[in-house]
Amino acid sequence: MSLFGAERIGCPEVLASIVFIIEDAIEQVERPQEVRNHIDLCPNCSRQLDHERLTHTFLVDALRRACVEKAPESLYESIQKQLMGAGSTTEVVTTFSMTEISIEIDEFGNVEHREVQIEETHVQHINFDDGLPGGKI
Amino acid sequence: MTSKDLVLESASDRTIRFERDALVFMDQLYAAALRYTRNPEDARDLVQDTYIKAFTSFHQFEEGTNLRAWLYRVLTTTFINSYRKKQRQPLIANNELEDWQIDQAQSHTSDLGKSAEVEALENLPDSDIKNALQELPEEFRMAVYLADVEGFSYKEIAEIVGIPAGTVMSRLHRGRKLLREKLADYARELGYTTGTAGSTDSAAAEGEKP
Repeated sequence: MSLFGAERIGCPEVLASIVFIIEDAIEQVERPQEVRNHIDLCPNCSRQLDHERLTHTFLVDALRRACVEKAPESLYESIQKQLMGAGSTTEVVTTFSMTEISIEIDEFGNVEHREVQIEETHVQHINFDDGLPGGKI
Repeated sequence: MTSKDLVLESASDRTIRFERDALVFMDQLYAAALRYTRNPEDARDLVQDTYIKAFTSFHQFEEGTNLRAWLYRVLTTTFINSYRKKQRQPLIANNELEDWQIDQAQSHTSDLGKSAEVEALENLPDSDIKNALQELPEEFRMAVYLADVEGFSYKEIAEIVGIPAGTVMSRLHRGRKLLREKLADYARELGYTTGTAGSTDSAAAEGEKP
């Protein structure tokens, strides 16, 4: 039942947009400008919006007051312990070396002896955190 | 810290950074976990799992972005993936979007004598408020909690829960409405005469009286 004729959006549509207005997301509704215009012109919707806003403020206050909790000290300690366990990694150092020896003898009997030392070191950090989630210390 | 520094960060440095930045949210995460799981043992386990999971993927977290929202996402995903199954909770119907359409057939609240509902909200004991919240279907409870207690925006909630923004809106709208109805029930038990919290008056829908 629009007060403004069929081409305009009606009160029900505007009232359904109130959650968007409260969330500061009016641009997400289909016709934001028309919603704004409607609210400016419709005293009922305007009053309803004020009412919803006010009630929402009090609802938020009530919820925040009621939902304050303190995590148990033991939880803090056990998480810290687990983190320290998870954070300590094992360093695995793998070194391999190889000597390449080549001996060449040419047609004059000269012996050419070459030795190439190849060395590689791999450092790997292994984190033994498998199965940690849910696991208790 | 740049991403290059992160690569060079040692495991123990990472632990220190995580402890410094992430553990300060423990009370908040525990409070959310209590509202999600509705019991202290599961809440405890959920927070512990959340921190361990967050720590093992902490290298993926980009410093400078919202760590708190990221931790809530880990908490919420962990809850949805494991605890919810365990708790075997009834979920709201899949047709929540259609219900939302039906719900749009609203009308003005006839009695805007707001004092009664607001007064009840101010005076209801914390236990009643928590109980009313617990009675909400899980999807509504999570959306309302994240928005109204934690102050996350609908966009952040969409990311945290992994649902489209429109669904967040629908859950917020319907969750708050349901919550107000439940709070009105508690208020009535305490002797408040709030009458029509969150509901509408058909007389007003028929048009304004002269």
